[in-house]
Amino acid sequence: MSLPRHRLTLRVNGEEQELLVESRRLLLDALRDDLGLTGTKRGCEEGVCGACTVLVDGRHVRSCLLLALQVRDRAVTTIEGLAGDGALHPIQAAFIRAGALQCGYCTPGFIMTTKALLDARAALTEAEVREALSGNICRCTGYAHIVEAILALTEDTKR
Amino acid sequence: MRDFVFLEPRTMAEASGMLADHGDAARLLAGGTALVLLMRNRLASPSHVVYLGGVPDLDRIVIDDDGLRMGALATHAAIAAHPGIRARYPVIADTAGVVANPQIRNVATIGGNLCHGDPASDPPACLLALGARVRAVRGAAARDIALDDFFTDYYENALAPGEIVAEVFVPAPPPGARAAYTRFVTSAAESRPLVAVGVRLTLAGAACTEARIALGAVAPVPRRATRAETFLRGRTLTPDVVAEAASLAVADLDLVSDFRGSADYRRDVARVTVRRTLGRALGGAA
Repeated sequence: MSLPRHRLTLRVNGEEQELLVESRRLLLDALRDDLGLTGTKRGCEEGVCGACTVLVDGRHVRSCLLLALQVRDRAVTTIEGLAGDGALHPIQAAFIRAGALQCGYCTPGFIMTTKALLDARAALTEAEVREALSGNICRCTGYAHIVEAILALTEDTKR
Repeated sequence: MRDFVFLEPRTMAEASGMLADHGDAARLLAGGTALVLLMRNRLASPSHVVYLGGVPDLDRIVIDDDGLRMGALATHAAIAAHPGIRARYPVIADTAGVVANPQIRNVATIGGNLCHGDPASDPPACLLALGARVRAVRGAAARDIALDDFFTDYYENALAPGEIVAEVFVPAPPPGARAAYTRFVTSAAESRPLVAVGVRLTLAGAACTEARIALGAVAPVPRRATRAETFLRGRTLTPDVVAEAASLAVADLDLVSDFRGSADYRRDVARVTVRRTLGRALGGAA
């Protein structure tokens, strides 16, 4: 049975987008397959790993558990929206400096979580950073350098 | 996931009507973190999904002299961060702040959490201990359902067809009341509780005038430990009395056994967790 599609407008990385989507379209698939923004990763597909983390109206969410229609007229930010013209975002630069990635598959999700975290709070303890990362899994287990990268950023902010 | 008709009501009455029109084939969508997963795993395949996100003000949080009203669409993150809840109902803010993980808390709602009825969750035991009730509406009709009566079985609740939880109400605590909630997780990587315990003690001097103890995650539905509550009433809460109450709280539980832990293990952990939670409510060390 073929059901009607829905016209969906949303703002992705500052640009208005208009899509025609099935009801069941996930935000993750709309971003990757309809808009070609493959920086957002498909990991566990059941809300556990955090690889698909994006921001909706500035809050970090799992795009594999949201229907695209739930973000109608809202602002979505993906990893592609962070870097400016040819310049890495400070969080990306900090991850590279600290060697906070191994295979790199979880990295976009960690960086989006970090973005939401640092937008909300400038100063954080290591325990707070680790708690904030509890929804993201790095299967290379490279957590130490990820935490280090984020703590370096919070110290930068404090200066 | 099977495709479905996506319905976007603008009022609660419209949403009730849509649910009533499609009966069991329709499901209500709030944050979606539970329902979307069920649909993806084909544990639910509704033909119609009624999305509440377009109904205005359903995420409102209001505190007055009567108590706390949390709109059904208030997210766990909003509850955890709400200044009024943090000041006057800190146990609710703290509990909301440990649900699942940060990304889920930004989307998942208190109404969705209670209606989904997953036993391995934090808010039900906490809110049950605080005497919370839900306001269920259908069209112009509304009724209040105490959480004691709301959960009926695994993933089942007392809502009638077409009824929707609009709000969760927590009565203002009586003078001298103190509350605590404790979750026990089997490892730091686990985000769901093996045992969840909420308590509210009302004290007059050294004597306990009322005790509410709720256990979650140990049985298909969260339950009050009524024998322990009765035992505590009128007593001075010495360590021995608290320990005895903890034993009574788990004495007649019909415990579940699952991959998080066996029934025997749960009973031991529940007893210790009740004892510690009573201790925390009394202001002692955990």
